[in-house]
Amino acid sequence: MNVLEVRGATKTYDVGKTLVGAGRTLHALRGIDLAVRKGETLGLVGESGCGKSTLARLILGIEGPTSGNVTLAGKPVGGYGRLERAKLVQPVFQDPYSSLNPRMRIARIVAAPIEVRGIGTASSRRERVRAVMNAVGLPEHFTEVYPSQLSGGQRQRVAIARALVGEPEILVCDEPTSALDVSVQSQILNLLARLKRELGLTLILISHNLAVVHHLADRVAVMYLGRIVEHGPTEAIFGAPRHPYTAALLASVLSPRPGARLPEMRVGAEFPSPLAPPPGCAFHPRCPCAGEGCATIDPDETRDGPRGYRCHYPLAHA
Amino acid sequence: MASIASATAAPVLALSPGRVALGRTLRHGGFWVGGGILLVILVAAILAPLLTAHDPTWQDLGKRLVPPVWDARGSWEHPLGTDQLGRDYLARLIYGGRISLLIGFATVLISGAIGTALGIAAGYWGGRVDLLINFVLTIRLTLPVVLVALVVVALAGNSLTILMLVIGLLLWDRFAIVTRSATQQIASREFIVAAQAIGSSTGRILFKEILPNITGPLIVVASVELAHAILLEAALSFLGLGVQPPLFTWGLMIAEAKNQLFFRPWLIAVPGAALVALIFAINLVGDAVRDVTAPEGRA
Amino acid sequence: MTGPLLEVRGLKVEIAVPGGMTRPVRGVDFSVAAGETLAIVGESGCGKSLTSLAIMGLLPRAARLAAETIALKGLSLIGLSESGWRRLRGERIAMIFQDPMTALDPCYRIGDQMAEVLRQHRPVSAEAARQRALELLTRVGISSPEQRLTQFPHQLSGGLRQRVMIAMALLCEPELIIADEPTTALDVTIQAQILHLLAEIQRDTGIGLILISHDLGVVAGVAHRIAVMYGGEIVEIGERDAILGRPLHPYTEGLMHSIPVPGETRRGETLGFIPGTVPRQTGELTRCGFLERCPYATGRSAAGPVPLREAADGRLVRCVLPLDGSGRDPAAWTRQAEGV
Repeated sequence: MNVLEVRGATKTYDVGKTLVGAGRTLHALRGIDLAVRKGETLGLVGESGCGKSTLARLILGIEGPTSGNVTLAGKPVGGYGRLERAKLVQPVFQDPYSSLNPRMRIARIVAAPIEVRGIGTASSRRERVRAVMNAVGLPEHFTEVYPSQLSGGQRQRVAIARALVGEPEILVCDEPTSALDVSVQSQILNLLARLKRELGLTLILISHNLAVVHHLADRVAVMYLGRIVEHGPTEAIFGAPRHPYTAALLASVLSPRPGARLPEMRVGAEFPSPLAPPPGCAFHPRCPCAGEGCATIDPDETRDGPRGYRCHYPLAHA
Repeated sequence: MASIASATAAPVLALSPGRVALGRTLRHGGFWVGGGILLVILVAAILAPLLTAHDPTWQDLGKRLVPPVWDARGSWEHPLGTDQLGRDYLARLIYGGRISLLIGFATVLISGAIGTALGIAAGYWGGRVDLLINFVLTIRLTLPVVLVALVVVALAGNSLTILMLVIGLLLWDRFAIVTRSATQQIASREFIVAAQAIGSSTGRILFKEILPNITGPLIVVASVELAHAILLEAALSFLGLGVQPPLFTWGLMIAEAKNQLFFRPWLIAVPGAALVALIFAINLVGDAVRDVTAPEGRA
Repeated sequence: MTGPLLEVRGLKVEIAVPGGMTRPVRGVDFSVAAGETLAIVGESGCGKSLTSLAIMGLLPRAARLAAETIALKGLSLIGLSESGWRRLRGERIAMIFQDPMTALDPCYRIGDQMAEVLRQHRPVSAEAARQRALELLTRVGISSPEQRLTQFPHQLSGGLRQRVMIAMALLCEPELIIADEPTTALDVTIQAQILHLLAEIQRDTGIGLILISHDLGVVAGVAHRIAVMYGGEIVEIGERDAILGRPLHPYTEGLMHSIPVPGETRRGETLGFIPGTVPRQTGELTRCGFLERCPYATGRSAAGPVPLREAADGRLVRCVLPLDGSGRDPAAWTRQAEGV
C-alpha cells in the first residue's frame, strides 16, 4: 500500500512581484510523480536548487502544490486538518541549530507535537517524552536544559525525538546529517537505521550526499531542476545508472581510501536557473552525452521494470 | 551507555537564554547607572505622598517665588523653593514626574502593541500583508509627529486620555520596523517550519515561538520610545497643548516658568535637569539591553 | 629540497572568555615544502581554522598567539607589523575561503576587485591589471572571461565564484596558498571540479598548498601529506596513503570507520562512530586529550600528556598504543553503546 503518492505535482513561485507589477516565475517543481510504500525508505538526491526541499514542504503540507496532487494515506494532504496531518508526517531538518527554538527547554520542544494535539495529561506527556528521549539515546536530565547547551549531534537527536513523539507514519528527513561532524553523522545514521527497523517507519531521506542515501535508502529518486530524472531500487541505480546526471553524481562521491583519485567530472559547471529552465531536457547544457533533440524535446519517462528515467540517450546497462 | 553518559553528563545547569542575558545585563555598568537613576525617579513618583508633606497644587501667594535651599534666601521648608503661585516646587517635581512617567509608559504600551502586532504580521506572512503594512507605515512616516499631535489636540481637546492616545497612535513606527525585520529573521528559521509541521495554530507560532525570540530588540525600542514619548509630551505641554492644569508635568512646569528664565533660572533648571536625567537613564538601560542581546558575545 | 617553505613550531592560540581561557590550539608543529599539499583535517572545534588564520596574521582580536617559529622561507612572521602583514598577504601568502560570496565584495565588479588586489602590490597600469585578471580567469577555467570581469559576485554561481577566488589568490603569484574548506559550500558535481583545479594549479606552479577540510574524502584526492587535528593538537601527521591506509591514532581510525562508502560498507550496517563530544579546551592537558572518547584508552593514556612518537613509516602519532597497530579491534567502533 502506498502511504505517500505524488502525481504531477508542480510548484511555482512568483518572485519580485509588487502590488502593481508582475514578477518572474520560479519553477521549483515541474511535474513530480512519486509513490512510497509503507515501511520503505526513499532517498531523494539532488543538488541545491533541484527542488527537493520544496517537495519536502509539499509532503509536510506546509505548502500546497500549484498543480497536481500530493496524497497521504489515500487522501490529499490539503484535505487533512493541521493536527491530522501532523499525526501522519513529521520533519527532521538539516540544521539542528536552527530547528530548535532557543527559548524553550528540551522537554517542551519534544512534547510540543502531543501538547498541540492535546494528547494525554501533562504527566502522561512527560512520561512519553522521557520514553522517546530514551529511544533516541538522550539522557533524561537533558529535559530541563536549553538547546544552546547541547552539541550538534545531541540537538539532532532532540529534533528526531520531537518528530517521533507523536508516532507519525512518515518521517521526512531533509539533509539530516549535512550540518554534523563526520563522527556524529554516523551516529545519526545508525539511529535512523535502527528506528526504521524497530518502528517500521516510512522514511523520506533528502540528501545531496550519495553515500548517506546509499546507506539508508531502499529506493532512490534523483532530482534535477524540479524533475525526477531517474528512480529505482538503490542497488540498481548505484550499480548501473541510466541517466548521465545520476552517473555524474555517483562519480562525484569522494572516497577516503588510499590511492583514491579525484573523479573526472565530465558535466559542465553551470547550474541552470530555475527562473529560466533550459528548453528540452533541462540537463542538456551540462550533459556529456547530449545529442540531437536534447535541446528541444523534453524526454518522457522510460520505464524499465522497477525503475524509470528521463533521457533520450540513456547510458547502457552495465 | 552508562559509562559514556557519566563522562559527558557533568552537572548540566539549565541556563535559559533569557537568564544568560539577564546575567550579562547585571554585569553591565551602564545598566546599573541608568537603572539606579530610573529607580530613584520611579520610587519617588510612586511614594510621592511619603516624600513631601506639601500639596503640589496648594497655592500660597504670600510665598511666591521662594528661592531653593542653596540660595541665601532659601529655607528647608521649601527645598526647591516655590513657583509663581507659591506652590512647593519639590512637591510639584515629584508629583509632576508621575504624570510624565504615566504618559510615557501608557503611550509605549499603546504604540508597542500596535507596532509589534503590525511588525509581526508583516514579517510572518510577508507578501501582500507585508506590502499593505509597509504602505500604512510609509504614510505614518510622512506625518510630522509634533504637527499632527498639535492639530489633533487642538481639535479634540487635550485631556490626559486623548494625549496618551495621540502619542501612542503616532509612535508605533519604530516598533513595527524593528519587529518586522526581527520576525523575518526568526520566521526563516527551521523551528518555525517544525512548529507548522506539528500542527501548531498560528497564534501559538506567533506568541510562543516568535514573540519570546524578539524580546531583546523590543525592549531596546521600548526604551527609545519611552524617552521619545516623554519628550514629546514635554514639548506639547511647553506649547500649551499638553496636559492642562490642575494636572501638570515636567514639561508644563518648564512652560509655566519660561517667563522667569533670566531672573529665576532654577524654575526651569530643576524640571529640565529631572527630564534630562530621566531620558539619560532610560537610554543607558536601553543601551545595556542592546549590548547584551544584539549580536552574540558582544558582552 | 632546501628547507621548508613554511615552518610552524609550537603554535598556540588562546582566547579569553568570560570565566577563563580557552586553548583552541595547543602547540602545533608542521612544515610545508614548496610544491607540496598538506591537508589539515579535523572536525569543528579542533583548531584547524585558527591555525590557518594565525599563519595569515588574521586571528580575531580576542585571541592571543604564541609560537616558537612561524617562518616563510626563513622570514619570521611572529610579531610582524600590520603593514608588514599587508605586504605579505596576497603577495606571498594567499587564502581561499569556504564561502566565496562573503569573501568577495558584493559592491564591486569582479574585474575591479581583481585589479584592486593586484595594484595594491604591483605598480601596474589599469590596462595591465585587466589583462592579468583576464589571463587568470581563463587559467581557472572560466568561460567568456571578458564578460565576467564586468559582472558582480551575485551574478555568478557558487562554483564560478570559487574559481574567481582562486584566480584572485593567484594574482601576485604567491608562494603559499591556504584553502579553508574551499568546496564545502559547493554542490557535489562542482566540488570535484574545483579540487581538480586546485591540484592542477598546485602542480603547475609548484606553490605550497595548505588544504583545510573536515572531509577525508576531499583530502584523499588532493593531499600529499595529512595532519589530523583533534582538540587543538596534531594527533597524527604523515604521508597520505599511509594514514588513510592504516590510521594509527584512534581518532583517525574512528573517523575512517564513521564514513559510509558505497560499495564498501554494507547498506544499513551499523557504522562506526566516536562516542561523546569534543571537550571544552580549557586548562593545560594533563593526559591524552582523546581519552574520554577512545575505546582503546589504557591506564597509560591518563598518566600524562602524550607526546608525538614516530612510527616505522616515518609518520608521527600522539598515542601510547603500540605504533605497529597491534592489539586493536576495529569492531570496537561499532560495538560501543550508543552514546550521546
